[in-house]
Amino acid sequence: MTPYPTPPMAGAQPPKIVDLQNVQLTYDGDAQVLRNANMVMREGDFRFLTGASGAGKTSLLKLIYLAHQATSGRVALFGQDIGALPPDHLPTLRRRIGVVFQEFRLLDHLTAFENVALPMRVMGHKEGAYRNDVIDLLKWVGLSHRIDARPPALSGGEKQRVALARAIVSKPDLILADEPTGNVDPEMGAKIMQLLIELNKLGTAVIVATHDLGLVRALKQKILRLKEGEVTLHQPLADIVDSAERPPL
Amino acid sequence: MTTMDGAAHAPTHTPLRPAPLLPEAGAAGTPLTVVIAVLAFMASVALAGYFMVSRAVDNWTGDLSGSVTVQIKASTAPEIDQDMAMAVQILSTTPGIADVTALDRTDAEALLEPWLGKDNLGPDIPIPGLITASVTPELRQDLTALRDRLAEAAPGASLDDHSLWNDRLVGAARQGQAVAFVVFIMVLGASGAVIIFATRAGLAANRDIVEVMHLVGATDRFIADQVQRRYLSLGLRGGGIGAVCAAITLFIVASFDGESQGLFLPNLSADPTMLVWLLVVPALLCAVASLTARFTVLRALKENM
Repeated sequence: MTPYPTPPMAGAQPPKIVDLQNVQLTYDGDAQVLRNANMVMREGDFRFLTGASGAGKTSLLKLIYLAHQATSGRVALFGQDIGALPPDHLPTLRRRIGVVFQEFRLLDHLTAFENVALPMRVMGHKEGAYRNDVIDLLKWVGLSHRIDARPPALSGGEKQRVALARAIVSKPDLILADEPTGNVDPEMGAKIMQLLIELNKLGTAVIVATHDLGLVRALKQKILRLKEGEVTLHQPLADIVDSAERPPL
Repeated sequence: MTTMDGAAHAPTHTPLRPAPLLPEAGAAGTPLTVVIAVLAFMASVALAGYFMVSRAVDNWTGDLSGSVTVQIKASTAPEIDQDMAMAVQILSTTPGIADVTALDRTDAEALLEPWLGKDNLGPDIPIPGLITASVTPELRQDLTALRDRLAEAAPGASLDDHSLWNDRLVGAARQGQAVAFVVFIMVLGASGAVIIFATRAGLAANRDIVEVMHLVGATDRFIADQVQRRYLSLGLRGGGIGAVCAAITLFIVASFDGESQGLFLPNLSADPTMLVWLLVVPALLCAVASLTARFTVLRALKENM
């Protein structure tokens, strides 16, 4: 297993990528999803995000990838206070975040190649500039033979890998993966996690929302636990597995 | 890095032309193209009608405004002949008047023959005399002096510059043109309304796609560009089809010569310059469709997404 990179010494900490302070999130007419959420992610961090079903993991990720707005509190991404930014600045921030959605969210009318290339197109790059990168990436995720296949013709694992390739094609600073192993077999899940670990080793911050206790234990990364609308940070599960401090996942 | 399947695959061919990010099917497909084509047809016919009427009126009024008619009425034929001679003399010696042509009795009888029959007019029956002449625009501005001279020398003569008939004709034609123009504008407005409806329906149908595009960093302008491109192509296709159909229809209609059929109708002839005007319709529809779609998308994204 690849060891998690040693955090920098205190006083020389990497910049904050995500900074939530006293964040509340309430859906219209619904219960409060986040009550008083506080969390910090720095460059190069890897975190598992755990919590019971309905605890708000996906909502927290949506808050970070700017699909939702906090009801109150401060959300800062890459050092910029989201509440103070004009709406037309949000796309620039979104481009620094790669998202692997739980339900993939691939565009069915586009091929695997075109799906992966989507972030590059929306950034205004010409195909000649990214074509080889996209092909290399599809090769890296083991889909070089499915370049021209459309999502309806892909298996769950293949869709997940296309979604992963799309999330990382623009070399984002932060990757958010919502249950990336939830729809694939254990072997494919392990491969996907290995990819995320490799990307993290290259300096990309990663948050993986998961229910998979085995996965969390195996990869020995710090855990963000979401319970009753609050986020708490815990040490890697394997180190405290027999301790009374073990977080209930 | 290793590949996830540990195997090396040769990349298959992927076309270099980027696929449209919004699906081709849906409200912005064939049915909308047909609607735009029909609207383009109506707009083309209205525009062509505007210019055809304008051209016909120019022809009519050009003929009428360049001429005057003198009518001689008297109680006896000799008086008519005398007044005719005086009037011809005055007209022929007036600067700005040319091509003076007097209708003699034989010509007048020939004109009346359909109503009165041949040789039914005795020599004593007075027939009003007619003189036509061309007139310069300068002289036409003020015919008072000529009218006075004619009245003095030939009491039975009356000068008609056709202004009453001309003004009524131009007035009626201008009303027809106004109606054609209003129809043209209304069709453009209807096109805009259809595009707004289709764009909003398309956005609703493709909401997930638009959301994914947003989440990977697309700006509203980028999404609007995609939609605008789609509607530009649609406007060009539908507008082109409609304009071509209109051109064919108009040339068929123009081949019907009202005058040669013995009807008191102008010949609403079409000419090649009208084809140029018909090109304006698809161009305008493209502009209306693409700009309407763009602003509708930008507004909808601002409101709802």
